[in-house]
Amino acid sequence: MNGLKQVWRVACYEWFDALRSRRALVVLLLYMTAAVCNMYWSINLLHKLENELVTVLQLPPSEHAGVVSTTLWKSKPFQRMMKEVTQNDLVLKDITGKHPVELIYAWFAFFYTPLLVVLVAGNRIAEDLGSGAVRYMIFRISRSSWTIGKFIGQVLMIGFALVLSSVGAYAVAKYRLAGSGTPDLFLNMLEWSVRAWVFSFPYLGLAMGLSHLTKSGSKATVMGIFAIAICFVVSILLRHFTGDSGWRAYVPYLSLLVPEYHKMYMWRNALAPLVTGTVYLMTLGFCYLLAGYAVFRRRDV
Amino acid sequence: MCNAMENAIVTTDLVKRYGARRALDGLTLAVPRFAVLGLVGPNGAGKTTWMMSVAGFLHLSSGTVNLLGSGPFDADVHRGRITILPQDSELPLESHPLELLVHYGLLQGLTQQEATRSAQAMLTEVHLGDRLNAPIRSLSHGMRKRVMIAQCFIGFPEVVLLDEPLSGLDPREVAHMRAFLTRRRGRQTIVISSHNLHDIEVMCDHIAFVEKGRTIRFATLEEVIGTDSSLVYGLTSEPGNLDALSAAVPGASFTFQKDTSELVCRYDPRQVTAEAINAKLLPVLLAQCGVRTVAQGSNLETEYLRTT
Repeated sequence: MNGLKQVWRVACYEWFDALRSRRALVVLLLYMTAAVCNMYWSINLLHKLENELVTVLQLPPSEHAGVVSTTLWKSKPFQRMMKEVTQNDLVLKDITGKHPVELIYAWFAFFYTPLLVVLVAGNRIAEDLGSGAVRYMIFRISRSSWTIGKFIGQVLMIGFALVLSSVGAYAVAKYRLAGSGTPDLFLNMLEWSVRAWVFSFPYLGLAMGLSHLTKSGSKATVMGIFAIAICFVVSILLRHFTGDSGWRAYVPYLSLLVPEYHKMYMWRNALAPLVTGTVYLMTLGFCYLLAGYAVFRRRDV
Repeated sequence: MCNAMENAIVTTDLVKRYGARRALDGLTLAVPRFAVLGLVGPNGAGKTTWMMSVAGFLHLSSGTVNLLGSGPFDADVHRGRITILPQDSELPLESHPLELLVHYGLLQGLTQQEATRSAQAMLTEVHLGDRLNAPIRSLSHGMRKRVMIAQCFIGFPEVVLLDEPLSGLDPREVAHMRAFLTRRRGRQTIVISSHNLHDIEVMCDHIAFVEKGRTIRFATLEEVIGTDSSLVYGLTSEPGNLDALSAAVPGASFTFQKDTSELVCRYDPRQVTAEAINAKLLPVLLAQCGVRTVAQGSNLETEYLRTT
């Protein structure tokens, strides 16, 4: 119990300390600005798409985007586009009918969260190792409590960033949408930010695990960015080589180790895939983190 | 060596290798409970490595550490019982002294109230009562050092390891910290590593000379420097008649060091005071040569140079 309390104290302090660090603040603001701009430009694009649809279907024109989103979902080109994006029929079925604005935000959150994670949290442990600040901690708490506390602190930080971005994106959507910027839409966007938050766990584990290996914050960030790039490339390769027979039949098992593979669970509606995805992603995050911790446990500080 | 119950720290045959180099080469040392031990030695002797090994920062190549009779450092066992002022380690720059020290206190197992009280008292003690809520980034080097010293005494730990605690402090703060640490004698076990032998002589009651990763001498301060005191006179030239000086202060012995042009007067402080010696000796000296300076001599320095 005492150990858990200590971990929680470290986590809260880490979150608080990260919030007032200039770097994290700048990244947070940039991320929020990107979410807002992405929403603004996407709604412009959506409006254009809808207007074209209105012309084709000879519907009354609208000054606002999102008015004909139901019709939009029924249009074949849009469905084809979404199928291309999702590359998964089950996901396509689950998201069909959802408000396009909601999906625009979800896409943004899922796509940029790994980068946000690396830029915000990638250097935290390495910098403490480099400056020697860790030495004031590890005679007061165990190294494991310190690592887990730092991780949870950053989990909270990323959650906070995602919630902020959903609020910013919703504010733009409410301003640009006619009557459809309802509280329900906000809640749905908030839900997507929570799903993206769960998706951030393995990247956070990866970035912070790698951060244990160096005493330079910038080196840790670069390592994190490389690791994310490698994860993306590996997931593409694994998808490409997946097959039904021979060695290709085993490729899906390797895919379990890559966060991207589990992302599709987070797009689903049903509880079962969501829980499965959450468990996988959390486990993966802790495994990556523990791999870094295993080195830290044995190293001199 | 005393047994583990009488000693706060017992380290036996510590070896720490960095490649082919041995930072600790069989260092054995027992620090008695409630002693203030001065760890003295040249650069690279292994003083910092020893402290970091005791605090669990380093993984030893071989040897054993017994801390407070309960084995090597273990955060769960020794939490709040041992603290350290590590060398070249920055505090988190965005934090504020009070909030940081309260955080440390809570991690050591203190209640919120105890931690706040202890942190406030310590920061006031190191003259930072007016900077409790200033970001550490905005503090000067000396002020940061004082926060680092203050964090060591949160919650009254049993063992405090201080690596170069007075370096970087201004003379007034050095004097204050010396007095503060001297007051802790007999209440806490404190190990101080410093190159300033005068500080060590004033603050410590035990001395360990460390060289090339080994303890070459461990004794009480009294055993090391003896009961004699000394006065050092900086002269303009060699005095012509040392016998005249001996006649002026019976019981004192005199040595003239040609290379530094210093006259060292050794005396028994139980028999005569420094003021009385000066009153008798200076007229005789001035009759023979000029006197540039008069200072209290450090016997520890003499012993250190002789031993290492």
